Amino acid sequence: MPEKQPESATPKRVARARAVLDALEHLVGGLGTAILALAALLWLVLVALTCVVGVGLLLAPTVPRVVRAVAERERARLSRWGPEIIGPEPAPARVRAAMADPAVRRELGWVLVHGTFGISVSLVALTLPINGVQDVTYPLWWRLLSPTDPAPNLVFWSVRDTPDALKVALLGLVLAVAFLALGPGLARLQAWPGRRLLPPSADVDLSLRVAQLSATRAAALDAHATELRRIERSLHDGTQNRLVAVTVLLGATRRALTRDPAGAEAMLERAQDAAEQALAELRTVVRGILPPVLADRGLAGALAGLAADCGVPCRIDVDVPGRCAASVEATTYFVVAEALTNIAKHSQARHATVTVRRQGGALSLRVEDDGVGGAEEHEGSGLTGIRRRIEAHDGLLTLTSPPGGPTTLLVELPCGS
Amino acid sequence: MRIVIAEDDPLLREGVALLLRAESLDVVATTDGPDTFLAAVEDHEPDVAIVDVRMPPTHTDEGIKAAVEARRRQPGLAVLVLSAYVEQAFATDLLAGGAARLGYLLKERVGRVEQFLDALHRVAGGGTAIDPEVVAQLLSRSRPDTALDRLTARERDVLALMAEGLGNTAISERLFVTEGAVHKHIRSIFAKLDLAPTDRADRRVTAVLRYLEDTQRRT
Repeated sequence: MPEKQPESATPKRVARARAVLDALEHLVGGLGTAILALAALLWLVLVALTCVVGVGLLLAPTVPRVVRAVAERERARLSRWGPEIIGPEPAPARVRAAMADPAVRRELGWVLVHGTFGISVSLVALTLPINGVQDVTYPLWWRLLSPTDPAPNLVFWSVRDTPDALKVALLGLVLAVAFLALGPGLARLQAWPGRRLLPPSADVDLSLRVAQLSATRAAALDAHATELRRIERSLHDGTQNRLVAVTVLLGATRRALTRDPAGAEAMLERAQDAAEQALAELRTVVRGILPPVLADRGLAGALAGLAADCGVPCRIDVDVPGRCAASVEATTYFVVAEALTNIAKHSQARHATVTVRRQGGALSLRVEDDGVGGAEEHEGSGLTGIRRRIEAHDGLLTLTSPPGGPTTLLVELPCGS
Repeated sequence: MRIVIAEDDPLLREGVALLLRAESLDVVATTDGPDTFLAAVEDHEPDVAIVDVRMPPTHTDEGIKAAVEARRRQPGLAVLVLSAYVEQAFATDLLAGGAARLGYLLKERVGRVEQFLDALHRVAGGGTAIDPEVVAQLLSRSRPDTALDRLTARERDVLALMAEGLGNTAISERLFVTEGAVHKHIRSIFAKLDLAPTDRADRRVTAVLRYLEDTQRRT
């Protein structure tokens, strides 16, 4: 099928571009934590040196704390773009015990590597795109420079005319291509010490994981019970009441048939209305349990339906090969439904975008709008319900909504298939 | 008979009011929550209150609490509680102070107008109306090796109707037997269950229900 060729090539190119941009972001973030690690390292050295005169002994307890704080930042950063790294238990308060703690020792090792090697990787790697951009555009602006020192970084020949400047542009191109090729690898290389040293050693990890799973399992059961209660209530207080009204009205009609035929006719009319309301409510309840549209039209179709009903113009971009577990699709559906309802109600946005991707074993969902922001999660809000649903799936929810906007809702859900 | 209705579902509230008015009963007020209900009882001093169990704000047992409170304020008030489902705890709470002038029925019984009106009149007249479903649950959950097993099938039927609050005449009509036969069955039941015999319907209900609950609790 030759006509399919461009279609499959484009996503590949898009994926490549995304990987390079991600690498850039990771290297910049990595530089941030590497500078912190270097600072922690210098502090460690300073404290160690002053220990000789006694002052350092007073400052020693701060070292494991500073190291832990920096390590926590790196854990959070690495967890955002790879397998989650769970932090260890709090370190012992006493310095001697803290230094004996394997987790603290591993963190110290990481600070040493990240503060030196990690910082170098970032600096070298970021040189490539920065100089690349500078050099590629060099022919456009080199004449504006003072003639005494026109050559940019990494250029060892002097630039006197346009061909010289074009050579600089060529070098810039080489640098840019080098970054395209090496950037993602360098980002991984820089993250590697953190990924090796920052997770707790295997035995500790398991007990933490068990604790975390017990908590999410309890949350799952809790969310399940809440869900059942909601269904029970809408059946009892909605549908059942309608049906009771039908029987009451039918009973009254039977009594009135001979006595007051005209009144009986009116009551029958009301009974029919009540029966129709019961059906409508039953449909709503069923849709709230598992939207039939998911089974009929899949996630993309179901979300498109939500977007069509949304008061704010909304673009749906779903690229999920195959199907996920029904509960994951249902959760995604309800999250989007709630998010779009909130956008229509509160955001004053002019446009919203819903993006769903499958990344490895996880479904990642992003809902963005260009509204006023300031969305907050508080007890009883729909967002809390969403978070419970997501945590029940062992998933993650991040809401970014500064005052003035824009609002971004990020959800990661393990696919379960 | 002056009636106050407390039901938060508007359609159902108006449906019940419509039905009762069509039967020329005097519905003096319809209310949609416990507070408005208690105020209406104060204002109108009705003979009977028809109360839904689940009402705002929490939609759990507001109706039961409101009914108990209304009877505290107006001791002669007859109360018929309507419920979407049978919850024995509700019945127990309601009947804690005796069964006279009390009723506990599933909502859909209202549609069987004759039986509903019968229950309403019974409660208003000082008797009791317990939903057959409550009695059935109590009977089905009772321990297998109790005195209940010594009752004949017909005696169990009589016991169930007695527990619903029906008098001897009504029981005989339901079972198509003579009142004398019913009377005989009842004596036999009380003897087998070792209960003090009484002819007052509400005392009978309390005695029988308590007996059934006891056999249940010991399981």
